Amino acid sequence: MRSFAYVRAGTVEEAVAAAAADPEAAYLAGGTTQVDLMRDEVFRPARLVDITRLPLRGVERRDDGGGVLVVGALTTMEELAAHGDVTTRLPLVREALLRGASPQLRHMATVGGNLLQRTRCRYYRDPSTACNKRAPGTGCAALDGHHRMHAVLGTSPHCIATHPSDLAVALLALDAAVRVHGPDGERAVPLGEFYRTPGSTPHVENALTHGELITHLEIPLLPPEARSGYLKVRDRASYEFALASVAAALVVDEDGRIRSARLALGGVGTVPWRVPRAEELLRGARPDDDVLRAAAEAALSGAEGRPDNAFKIGLGRRAVVRMLGALARGEEPDGAARGEGR
Amino acid sequence: MTPPTTTPTPPPTPARLGEGIDRVDARVKTAGRAAYPTDTAYPGLAHAVLVQSTIAAGRITALDAAAAEAAPGVLAVISHENVPALREAPDRSASLPPPPLRDDRIHHHGQTVAVVVADSFEQATEAARLVRVTYAADAVVADLDHPDAQHDHDPFGTDGGTGDVEKALEAAPVRVEGTYRTAANTNNPMGPFATVAHWEGDHLTVHDCTQGPSRTRADLAATLGVPPEAVRVLAPYLGGGFGAGLRTWGHTVLAAVAARQVGRPVKLVLTRKQMFTSVGHRPDTKQTVRIGATRDGRITALDHRAWQSLSMTDANMEPVSHTSQSSYASPNIATRDVQVRLNVPAPGSMRAPGDAQGNYALECALDELAHELGMDPLELRLRNYADEHPVTGQQWSCNDLRACYEAGAEMFGWERRDPEPRSTRRGRTLVGYGMAGTSFFFYQADCAARVTVGADGGAVVESSGMDIGTGTYTVMTQLGAELLGLPVGRVRMVMGDSSLPAAPSAGGSGLTAAMGTAVHNASRHLLQSFLDLVRDDAESPLRGVALDGVRAEDGRIVRTDDGRGEAYTAMLARHGRDRLSAEGSAEAPGQKGAVVPTGPYAAKFAEVHVDEDLGVIRVARLVTAAHCGRVLNEKTARSQLVGGTVGGIGMALLEETVTEPHTGRIANPTLGDYLVAVNADIPRLGVRFVGGPDPTNPNGTKGCGELGIPGTPAAIANAVFHATGVRVRRLPIRIEDVL
Repeated sequence: MRSFAYVRAGTVEEAVAAAAADPEAAYLAGGTTQVDLMRDEVFRPARLVDITRLPLRGVERRDDGGGVLVVGALTTMEELAAHGDVTTRLPLVREALLRGASPQLRHMATVGGNLLQRTRCRYYRDPSTACNKRAPGTGCAALDGHHRMHAVLGTSPHCIATHPSDLAVALLALDAAVRVHGPDGERAVPLGEFYRTPGSTPHVENALTHGELITHLEIPLLPPEARSGYLKVRDRASYEFALASVAAALVVDEDGRIRSARLALGGVGTVPWRVPRAEELLRGARPDDDVLRAAAEAALSGAEGRPDNAFKIGLGRRAVVRMLGALARGEEPDGAARGEGR
Repeated sequence: MTPPTTTPTPPPTPARLGEGIDRVDARVKTAGRAAYPTDTAYPGLAHAVLVQSTIAAGRITALDAAAAEAAPGVLAVISHENVPALREAPDRSASLPPPPLRDDRIHHHGQTVAVVVADSFEQATEAARLVRVTYAADAVVADLDHPDAQHDHDPFGTDGGTGDVEKALEAAPVRVEGTYRTAANTNNPMGPFATVAHWEGDHLTVHDCTQGPSRTRADLAATLGVPPEAVRVLAPYLGGGFGAGLRTWGHTVLAAVAARQVGRPVKLVLTRKQMFTSVGHRPDTKQTVRIGATRDGRITALDHRAWQSLSMTDANMEPVSHTSQSSYASPNIATRDVQVRLNVPAPGSMRAPGDAQGNYALECALDELAHELGMDPLELRLRNYADEHPVTGQQWSCNDLRACYEAGAEMFGWERRDPEPRSTRRGRTLVGYGMAGTSFFFYQADCAARVTVGADGGAVVESSGMDIGTGTYTVMTQLGAELLGLPVGRVRMVMGDSSLPAAPSAGGSGLTAAMGTAVHNASRHLLQSFLDLVRDDAESPLRGVALDGVRAEDGRIVRTDDGRGEAYTAMLARHGRDRLSAEGSAEAPGQKGAVVPTGPYAAKFAEVHVDEDLGVIRVARLVTAAHCGRVLNEKTARSQLVGGTVGGIGMALLEETVTEPHTGRIANPTLGDYLVAVNADIPRLGVRFVGGPDPTNPNGTKGCGELGIPGTPAAIANAVFHATGVRVRRLPIRIEDVL
């Protein structure tokens, strides 16, 4: 039988020390992805450091600037979605959370784990196939395989796996950051600098070094006058990953011009995808169709499709136009999909 | 050891036949007391895990089991090199696939190449990973359009028709032609298939996920070379089958082989991934339908050709185009089926096999013809109504499809449909209405049952068949109660045991007719046995009375002439008997003669909403009017229609087993990647039963287990066309198809 060491940490320092001491150690929180990956032999950690007892659960509001939510990394998806400030001030975060997974999973899965969840690429998850992310240097079976769900942005000849998180897309749009505790102390990493596109090292997914632990998320609140939302386009009405998703927030002045715009895409990139150029195009403009389409063009700029997934480029653009237009008009964005399940 | 018997608890109140009483097995199931095969335990139980191939074509050049055999707890590693001789089925079209581990050849990805047996499941799982298999790979042929694939023509002997289709097509003023594709689908019952095998000397007991214990017993006996009497198959409950349990698959055979080899009871549970390669699936199809018609919408020619995938070594009974021989009146009809040999796992029945795919193509083609003619699709169907069998000219035993059309259209509000495609919208949502008819095939096999009334006045009804979740326990309890004049609470149904009177598998929507007839006949025989008991009994008011002069009511047999009678208990007591039993059987009705037994019918009406910009398709409403003959339980019958419709929605919009053409590997063998409909995908589903009893059997029933699927994908596809003006001739229909 395959055996591995299991330790339950009582403090953050204990957890970090235990993980740092063993190069084959991994943290275990909600386990909703990790355990599957171990069963499928994608991960074979020699040591699991259980962090579920650490005091990292709950949401606090800090009132510097426009207000910041400091979210313990072990807060569950459901807990964060239900938080009052998230409901009133961050609809895009709430919607991103509630359109992910299923209620059962959302009650188990932690927000820290959500940001670190692994791609759903079936080649990554099947050790009998070539995958540079799982086994560097073996190749990428998805390139010539079935890749309808795969990325069109941020890809490389080595990997086209899509980043699966909805929450990360919303947080990226908000300029959120993660607080990290590691062997060398604490640091904060803005989400915009956290994820790594695959390049020639698809196995390096983010800025964390071995032993570093996400302890908190810092989520700036939107101004009260902002409108925000998360549009997720998918085949199945619930319990399904995005073909394309859009997190957006707009502040529209009384004269009808956009004062500020935030825009990020999911389901289309190897990492959560934000394009400052698209936001610049919106700023100061009236949200008419031409402007929205120009922003959508910019958002998908550089996208490269393959036979099964090229449709995602146009779909992503349409999703951007729909989401921004709905926010500008104060409407619900997802038409037929709205209210028919999450 | 025999596992605890979990007898269903009937409800306390009497109920009439047809009434939608709760399932008699609901209580044991919801309380977790129903013994599924995976729940079976024996002292000393060992665990088996399969090793499956990672190539799709070629052969095994080396199989190194040394590391696995040396792993902790391992009892045996069985491969083609050391498996005991297994016998081939005499008839490959039968329920028995070729035996597992027969040689070193690999015919599909995920083929079982070894089974590892260990003390624990975890030990067996780990050791299975240590089996090193080396392959010499051949070129893979895994695509229905592959030029090198072998084609088996007319594999079912069902090709045929009437008239001269080519000539009629040429002469037809209006013609439509379309090529339609349906994806492979995987049954995916919630319960993974499992087998527990236990030898006591030369006697084998098997707990199995099967839809037919008698059939599994016969197959196991034939494969293992033991007499059928030496095998007992138990399956009182099944966690879903949808056709996957209609054959005796390799894992069931291997569990028995492993148990004999290690001298201990063995349990083998398939993983979800193995469920995609080991227990069948609905084969993908390519179909061409050509229809010729007059300008007033009379069909003059109907030509339906179908190509479907098949594995290299197996057979699969799945006529696809055959439905076009019996659906619409036309003087010229031709249907042809081809099976294409591929390096894919063996397909098998999946709810409404053949009809699910064939009806989709036919009913979409009808919709295309209606559009071409500028005619209402419902009117077109009524204009070509098959008042008799279009090919044989036989009379239908009972066909109320017309009533289905009328009731369904009325429930749905079909008259509100604007015929123009893309004419109806709500904001950015395109609204489409579509409909389809279904003439489902008839199937019934031989069946036996036994009915016993005991000294307490209660009855036991026994038959080896399976309730695969359809409600057979319940409707047979109701039927027994009705026929014996007892409250439902005094009748106990016992099933799922090959030692009971033999029933056919639960498949082809045929079990209710078969078993219901057997129970009917057994009950009549039992009443006769009671009359025989008191034939010369001076104390009995029933002395010398004939069967046609009595009825059963309130636990008594009563004379119809003067109402005198007596209780079962009184007759038994006076004659010193503790019980009286009788058996009854039912033979499959013949298909020849002036009247042809007919299956169930349905009309389906769907409303879909399509997001104009994003292409998201959702079913907003779907109603079914069904002719299922006499309905024995309104609630369980409705559940069959609703459940089938959910599967039909999945087939239409979500479900696709993706096989990579160049590797033969299934790319999505998980419930996260193979999308089945979830609650949020399903609107309120309306179901209404119409039409009369079918005289083919004494209870008047038709099958309703599969009727929910065929018609549903076509109604949805036709509604998508009506919503968008885009004709998608491929299932599942997805976002990118309508963008």
